[in-house]
Amino acid sequence: MSDLPPMTSVKRWLVTTNHKDVGILYLGTALFFLLLGGVMALAFRAQMWVPGGTGLLGANEFNQAVTAHGLLMVFWFLSPFAAGFANYLVPLQIGADDLAFPRMNALSYWFYLFSGILIGISFFQGGAYAGGWTMYAPLNVPTYTPAMEATTGGNSTILGLMLFVISITIGTVNFLVTIHRSRAEGLGLWNMPMFTWSWLLTVWMMLFAFAALLAALLLLASDRLFLTQYFATEQGSGLLWAHLFWFFGHPEVYIVFFPALGIMFETFQTFCGRRLVGRKWVIIAMVLVAVQSFLVWMHHMFLTTINLEIKTLMMATTIGISLPFDLMVFALIYTMVKGRVRFTTPFLFSLGALVLFILGGITGVFLGAVVLDYEFRGTYWVVAHFHYVMVSGVTALVAGLYYWWPKITGKMYSETLGKLNFAVYFIGFNLLYFPQFLAWETPRRVFHYDGGAQFYHQLSTVGAFVFGASFIIMFATFVYSFLYGPKAPDNPWEYSRTAEWAVPSPPPLENWTGRPSYASGNLEFVEDSRAATDGGVAHSEGTATEAVADHDEEHADHASIWPLGIGIGTFVFFLGLTGITPYLVQFAEARGHSVIGTSAEPNAAYLGLIAVGLVILAYTLFKFGVEQFNVPEMAIAERWPFGGVDNTKMGVWVFLASDVVVFGAAIGAFVFLRIHMGWGNWETIPFASWPGLLNTYVLLTSSFTVIMALVFAERKNKKGLLGAMGATLALALTFMAVKAYEYGYKFSIGEYWWTSLEHSVYFVTTGLHALHVILGVLIAIFMIYRIVSVDAYLEDHRPVEFFGLYWHFVDIVWVILFPLFYLM
Amino acid sequence: MADVRTYALIYVVLLVLGTGKFAFFEFFTYQIALAATIALAVAKILLIAGYYQHLLEEPRSITYMMGMAVFMVFLLAVAAGYSIQ
Repeated sequence: MSDLPPMTSVKRWLVTTNHKDVGILYLGTALFFLLLGGVMALAFRAQMWVPGGTGLLGANEFNQAVTAHGLLMVFWFLSPFAAGFANYLVPLQIGADDLAFPRMNALSYWFYLFSGILIGISFFQGGAYAGGWTMYAPLNVPTYTPAMEATTGGNSTILGLMLFVISITIGTVNFLVTIHRSRAEGLGLWNMPMFTWSWLLTVWMMLFAFAALLAALLLLASDRLFLTQYFATEQGSGLLWAHLFWFFGHPEVYIVFFPALGIMFETFQTFCGRRLVGRKWVIIAMVLVAVQSFLVWMHHMFLTTINLEIKTLMMATTIGISLPFDLMVFALIYTMVKGRVRFTTPFLFSLGALVLFILGGITGVFLGAVVLDYEFRGTYWVVAHFHYVMVSGVTALVAGLYYWWPKITGKMYSETLGKLNFAVYFIGFNLLYFPQFLAWETPRRVFHYDGGAQFYHQLSTVGAFVFGASFIIMFATFVYSFLYGPKAPDNPWEYSRTAEWAVPSPPPLENWTGRPSYASGNLEFVEDSRAATDGGVAHSEGTATEAVADHDEEHADHASIWPLGIGIGTFVFFLGLTGITPYLVQFAEARGHSVIGTSAEPNAAYLGLIAVGLVILAYTLFKFGVEQFNVPEMAIAERWPFGGVDNTKMGVWVFLASDVVVFGAAIGAFVFLRIHMGWGNWETIPFASWPGLLNTYVLLTSSFTVIMALVFAERKNKKGLLGAMGATLALALTFMAVKAYEYGYKFSIGEYWWTSLEHSVYFVTTGLHALHVILGVLIAIFMIYRIVSVDAYLEDHRPVEFFGLYWHFVDIVWVILFPLFYLM
Repeated sequence: MADVRTYALIYVVLLVLGTGKFAFFEFFTYQIALAATIALAVAKILLIAGYYQHLLEEPRSITYMMGMAVFMVFLLAVAAGYSIQ
């Protein structure tokens, strides 16, 4: 692809795949969503000036503002802001040239941007989703709230969040492959910088947690768009949503907080002038938290009907997770004690974050105790605690912005303005959130409260505006710095230790002039054109030297327009999907079924958007597939524990791990609902088991043909490869034909996916599998086209293997679905 | 990578195991058929993953990662199922 235009060109920002550019895009976009979410917060705080509201917002507007504020801050600001730092800094900190899959990185960003735009548009489609950021069932489906929130805008909110999760999943795969396989020679995992460590654990948590959320959102979107009944029944719907959401939601707290923690570790080390005390134990503690984060989710469900035994167990695990955090907090405090503190702006923000986090952590212990939670749940105690934790994370992220600002922009900022910023921020924060502990009896998410709490709420509202003003100071500081600030040196901080400070500010496009290496124990830049061209020399365990061209000579591409194109196509397609519910209602009513779906009227524009989106997607995906885009793997790198596979294969496996959880959660939903109903009371939906058995044979045979395709590709046998791929395609289409017959039979006797809970589960789970088959069909068609047109995969057979990995996974899922839905 | 003969043999075994699941529910009690079907499904998955996806030949870390994903699913399903007992 073409060379990258200069940074002053708009085109540069539309086509760039460079990790630093994408990082800047993430940071800028996240700050925009911070402002959007912040303005909403100011609006509803103003509404709460008096009990019953000032009238600034209507009741439903208040609900929309509260919901969108939560969603925007948690999803569209916090994690993407951290992702911005990670994009910019992780490759620099580990000595990589870029992320493993630069085009996918750009795609991840565009999906993120367009998902946020969907949220923005939702306000103009009859109202955004208004049921709270936790989207509890059954308020999240039309059945119980047709007038209030069964709007097209509500669908946009849900689909926007789904697109955001897809963006996160792509980013997760990219970072896991990058950090595990692109570390500079000699940079073992133990020696990675603390920010990179925190991000590595963040993306591991994201991989599994966001997959569960994706499954939940798929089921919810199915309910809202296609009128299935997952979250609309009295048969465990509410509990099912809570389990799926909080299985994601609790790790999400650490997903949000870990990068902030990493920034605190970095800045404490730099500005205390010493290595983090107990560094190794801090890493172990972080790993423990990452593991434990998946073992506590039901402490968000103490007020539901789950049994006391599991509540007690979750109370114990919740208390358990505070212990590693204690270690981290004491490590930070002791680092200050043992070091010599320099009270720069980044350090002040990091120290502030520590103080706020301690308060947030302690107040959370109350909520972890079952009996206390009975009292505190759903009150402003939760609101205050939650914000002390999450916004302490924001505080550390602001520290990171000041810390790395000179590196990113090449300009120094004014310490005076920075410290003023911190003072106003810290006062505003505590004025905003601390009174909420005192007004704790106020129920959350409503503006009617007891008059006795008015003083505290007014303090809180004043605090909100002071807090908001601190961000104006922050933006002013950075604008002034960018325009008039002195030039930043490579390393403006005396005791910074990480590799990004060893390159110019801002760093050059290719990051390094030599190859970074830690082989000697210190960071060095080596010229190794001889070493890297002689092919395959093992340096140490897990260090691979591969026979590729010289580091400096192999050209890496940095520009592609197709990620943006795919982003636009997906956005248009998703926007179209938001308006199909009225058509589904018509479809159901035409068949004599009474369904509650939406307050919106049919609008053909949405159908047009679906068609246009699909056309754009088809074109851009094709162009993306055929584009020559060179991303050389590092010749010499630390790859433990993922040596022995290449980047793409590891990426496919990581994606499959995520997909295991998506499918697993959907299948788990079936098991849960069936247990709730009584295992034997569940109605089997398929009219007979033979179509399932037939499709088992079909898919198993396709697994065999696709493995034969790989054999033929390795033998460079074009006819064989074409035949095997063609057979795989034919078998996939046969599978779909059998499925269509099966579905058609049910429709012919008047049974549809909205008929009952059992019908919904059957159609959605097998439909999700069929969707995977359809994606496989599209990939197979593309590959056959490439074999025919350019003799593809004969020299490099790896894409056939990667397709096979996916296809076998689809087969494995059917191995589970067949007995579950047809036999049991 | 295994040879074509091995792939073919595994294919035949997979077909037999798939048929077995169907047959169990025709000839045995529900509980026995349920247990046997789960066993066969696990065997099929291991064969496909191990030989067709070549998991046996990949670094162990890939297997551990996939194992972790499966563990997450069981954790969610089993704990959620237990919570309503």
